[in-house]
Amino acid sequence: MNLEFKKSIAWMRENLFSSIPSSILTVATSFFVLGFFRGLFGFAMASDKDWLSVLNNMQLYMVQAYPEEDFIRVWISVGLALVFAGMSIGLWKSTEESSLSEVFSKFLRVSLAFLFFTVVAPTFSSVTDNDGIIQTEESFPMETRLQLLIPSAILVVVFFVLKNLKLNYKFNKSDLLCFYLAIPIVLMWIIKLPTIQLDSSNQRIFPDPLMPIADTTKTPWTIIFGLFLAFYFIGSRFKDSKNIKRTMSISWVLLPLFIFSWIFKKPEIDLPTILGQDIPIFIGIFLIGALTITFINNPVVEKYFSIYLGVLIAITGIALFISIPILLKSALLLLVLFTIVIPAVSSSTKGKRNLIIVWGVSLFTLSVLIRGGSSDTQIIVQQQSIFGGFSLTWLLAIFGTYVSFPLGVLLALGRNSKLPIVRLVCTGIIELTRSVPYITWLFFASVTMAVFLPEGVNFELVVRVLMVTAFFSGAYFAENIRGGLQSIPKGQYEAADAIGMSPFQKTSLIVMPQALRAIIPTLVSSAITAFKDSSLVTIIGLIDFLTIGKVIIGTQSIPVNFVGHDRENLLFIAFFYWIFTFTLSRRSMKVEKRLGLGER
Amino acid sequence: MSIIKTNDVKKWFGDFQALKGISMEVQEGEVLVICGPSGSGKSTFIRCINRLEQHQEGEIIVDGIELTNDLKNIEAIRSEVGMVFQSFNLFPHLTVLQNVTLAPIWVRKKSRSESEEKAMELLTRVGIPEQASKFPGQLSGGQQQRVAIARALAMEPKIMLFDEPTSALDPEMIKEVLDAMKELALSGMTMIVVTHEMGFAKEVADRVMLFDEGLMVEENTPTEFFDNPQNDRTKLFLSQIL
Ligand SMILES: Nc1ncnc2c1ncn2[C@@H]1O[C@H](COP(=O)(O)OP(=O)(O)OP(=O)(O)O)[C@@H](O)[C@H]1O
Ligand SMILES: [Mg+2]
Repeated sequence: MNLEFKKSIAWMRENLFSSIPSSILTVATSFFVLGFFRGLFGFAMASDKDWLSVLNNMQLYMVQAYPEEDFIRVWISVGLALVFAGMSIGLWKSTEESSLSEVFSKFLRVSLAFLFFTVVAPTFSSVTDNDGIIQTEESFPMETRLQLLIPSAILVVVFFVLKNLKLNYKFNKSDLLCFYLAIPIVLMWIIKLPTIQLDSSNQRIFPDPLMPIADTTKTPWTIIFGLFLAFYFIGSRFKDSKNIKRTMSISWVLLPLFIFSWIFKKPEIDLPTILGQDIPIFIGIFLIGALTITFINNPVVEKYFSIYLGVLIAITGIALFISIPILLKSALLLLVLFTIVIPAVSSSTKGKRNLIIVWGVSLFTLSVLIRGGSSDTQIIVQQQSIFGGFSLTWLLAIFGTYVSFPLGVLLALGRNSKLPIVRLVCTGIIELTRSVPYITWLFFASVTMAVFLPEGVNFELVVRVLMVTAFFSGAYFAENIRGGLQSIPKGQYEAADAIGMSPFQKTSLIVMPQALRAIIPTLVSSAITAFKDSSLVTIIGLIDFLTIGKVIIGTQSIPVNFVGHDRENLLFIAFFYWIFTFTLSRRSMKVEKRLGLGER
Repeated sequence: MSIIKTNDVKKWFGDFQALKGISMEVQEGEVLVICGPSGSGKSTFIRCINRLEQHQEGEIIVDGIELTNDLKNIEAIRSEVGMVFQSFNLFPHLTVLQNVTLAPIWVRKKSRSESEEKAMELLTRVGIPEQASKFPGQLSGGQQQRVAIARALAMEPKIMLFDEPTSALDPEMIKEVLDAMKELALSGMTMIVVTHEMGFAKEVADRVMLFDEGLMVEENTPTEFFDNPQNDRTKLFLSQIL
C-alpha cells in the first residue's frame, strides 16, 4: 500500500509537476476538467430533472413508429447482432487476464469518482426560463446529496476492503466482459423503476410509483443474453479455426444487410416472381461466371478474354440505365467484378472449384438481399419510412460506410489511373461531390433527384438519401485513401513488378493493404463523422435518433407532459452517440496496434 | 547461347541521355559485375533488363524473348529474372515467409504448402530459417537483404540482378549478404551485380564492366580489369575506389 502510494507520488512528480509550466498546466487542466464534470454531475442528479422523459420513451428512441405487433422482428434483429457478437468474442477470445483485485480496484475508482462528485456537486444551478430571465434554484439539495452519499461511501469502503484482500484469482478478460454484461440483465429482474401513471383525468400521479421492469422488456433481453453466452462458449470452442473466423468476418458484413432487407423490413414475397424471374437470372448469370472460371486457361478463351471483358462491361453499363429487374443489374455488376478477378486467382482444379463455390455463394447472397431489399414492405407506418429513431441512424451509418468505403477505394484508384478518361470521371465525381454541402445533397435527394432518374424508376426517400450519402462520404474516403496511396514508396511497386505480379495483384496485395493501414485513424474519423452527420437528415423530414429527443419528446404533452425536458434528452443522446463512437475508436486503436506490428 | 543480349540500348530521361548505346552479352551461368561512378547509368541499365525502366532504342533479348511493349513478354521475362534492390523493398505488412511465398502462390500459382516448403528451404539457404514468422521491420539490414534474395529466388529465376545490394548496409552485415551471393554464384546462377565491392568482383566475377556517362568503357576479366586496366577512366576509377 505504502509502496504503491509512493510510486504514484513519484509518477506525479515526474509527469505532472516536473517543471513550473507543467505544474501550472496540470493545475489549470484539472481545474477545468473537474469543473466540467462537477457541473455535469450536478445537472444529471438535480432533483428537477425528469429522467423518465428518457426512460419512458426508449421505444420511440429505438424504432419510433414501428408497429408493436411486429416487435418480434426488432428483437430478432438485436438478438442476431448479439449472437454474432457473442460468437466473435469467443472466437477472438482475449488471452489477457485480470486478477480479482484489479477488477475491484477498477470498481473502487468508479465509486470514488462518484463519491467525489457527490460531495462537490453544486447545490444551486441557474436556469434560463422561457422569458430569458436567469433564475437560481436549489437543484441539488442536501437530502438528495445524503441519499447518494451514503451508498457511494459504502461502495467505496466495500471495494477498498475487497481490493486490499489481494485476491489473486485470475480471470480471462473476455469471460469478465460477459460477466459485466450479465450485471444489467440480473439487475433488470431485481430493481424497480419509477413509472408514469395517469389518473382518470390524465394527470400524472406524483410521486411516480415504483414498478418492476415490464416483462416485455426483460424477458427478451434475458433470452438474448442467454443466446449470447451460449454462442460465446461455442465460439471459444472454435477459436483455433481460421475458416470459421473468416466465415464470421464475412457474416458480419452481411448481417446488417440481411437484417435491414429481410427482418426489419418484412418484405412482401411474391412466389411467381421468384420462380419466374429471380431463379432464371441466378442460374443464367451463375453459369456464365462458372464457365468463365472453368475455361479461363483455354488458349482461345485467353486470347479473347479482354474483348469478352470489354463487351461485358459495356453490356452492364447499358443495363444499368434501362428498365430491367434490379436483380439482373446487380448480378451483372457482380459478374463484371468477378470476371476481372478470375485471371488473377484461378489456376489449379481445386482453386477453380473453390472459386466457383465462392462465386455461387456470393451471387446467391446478393440475390437474396436484393429480393428482400427491392420488395415492398408489409409494414405500414404513417410516415416516409419504416425506419425511425436509432434504427434510421444505424441504417444510414452502416449503409453509408458499406457503400461509400468500396466506392472510395475505386474512386481513389480511378483518380490515379493511367487512363485519362477514367481519371477525369473519378476526379470529376470527387470534386463535384465534395464541393457541395451535405445538406444540399440531402435536398437534392429529397426534391431534385427524381428528375435525373430514368422514367418509371423511383426510389424511396431513404434509399435516395443513402445514395447521396454513399457518394458524399465516398468522395472523402477516396481522398483519404489517395493520401494513403501516395505514402507508399516507389520501391514497393517496383518490387511487386520485379516478382511478376499483375497490376491487379499489385494493387490488392501490396499497395492497398499498406495504404489502408496507413490511414486507419483518418478512416475511422471519417466513419465517425458519417455516423454523426446522419442526424442532418432531419432537415428533409426523416426522423432520426436526435430528432426524437429534441423535437418529438421535447414537444410531447400528451399523454404525459415532457415539454421543457429536452435537456435531459439531449444529454442522453450525447451519451448514446458517445458510447458508439468511443467503442469504435477504441476498437480501431486495437486494430492499429495489431497491424502496426509490421511497421517500424 | 547467350542468355542476355543487348544491342545498342539507348535511354533518355526527358532530354538527359542516361544510356548512350550499350551492347553486351551474358552467357548462361556467368557472373558479371558492373561498376562505375555515381550517375553513370548502371542502375538504369540493369533495370531495363526486367523492364522497370523502358529503353527507347536498341534491343534487349532475354532468354530468347525480346522486350517490347507486349505485356505477355514483359511478364514472361519478369518471371525469369529476379531482382534484389539496394533498399531491400520487402513488403512491410507481410511476414518474412509471406514475402517469400507471395510470388510462387500468386504468380506461379503453386499450392500454399508447396510454396512454404520451398520458402523454408530458401531461407535456410540464405541462413535465416528462424526468422520466418517475423516482420521485415523486426530484422537487421543484412537479414532483410537475405530475405530479399530468397524472395527473388522463390520465383526460380534463371537470372538474378543485384543493384548495389550491400551499399545500404553496415560494414559488419555486408559479409553475410556477400556470402549468400557467393553461394548462389557457385551454384551456377547467371548473375549481373552492380557493386562497389571489389573483393567480391575479384573473387566471384567472370567478367567486370565499367560504365561511365552512359557508356560501357571497359569490359574484361577480373584479373585483367584490376591489374592491367586499359582505359584511362578505369584507371582513374580504380585509383579512387581502391
Ligand atoms: N527517373 C529518372 N528521371 C530522371 N533522371 C533519372 C532518373 N533515373 C535516373 N536518372 C538519371 O540518370 C542517370 C543515371 O542514373 P543511374 O541511377 O542509372 O546511375 P547509377 O550508375 O546507378 O548511379 P549510382 O551509383 O549513384 O546508383 C543519373 O544522372 C540520374 O540522375
Ligand atoms: Mg544506382
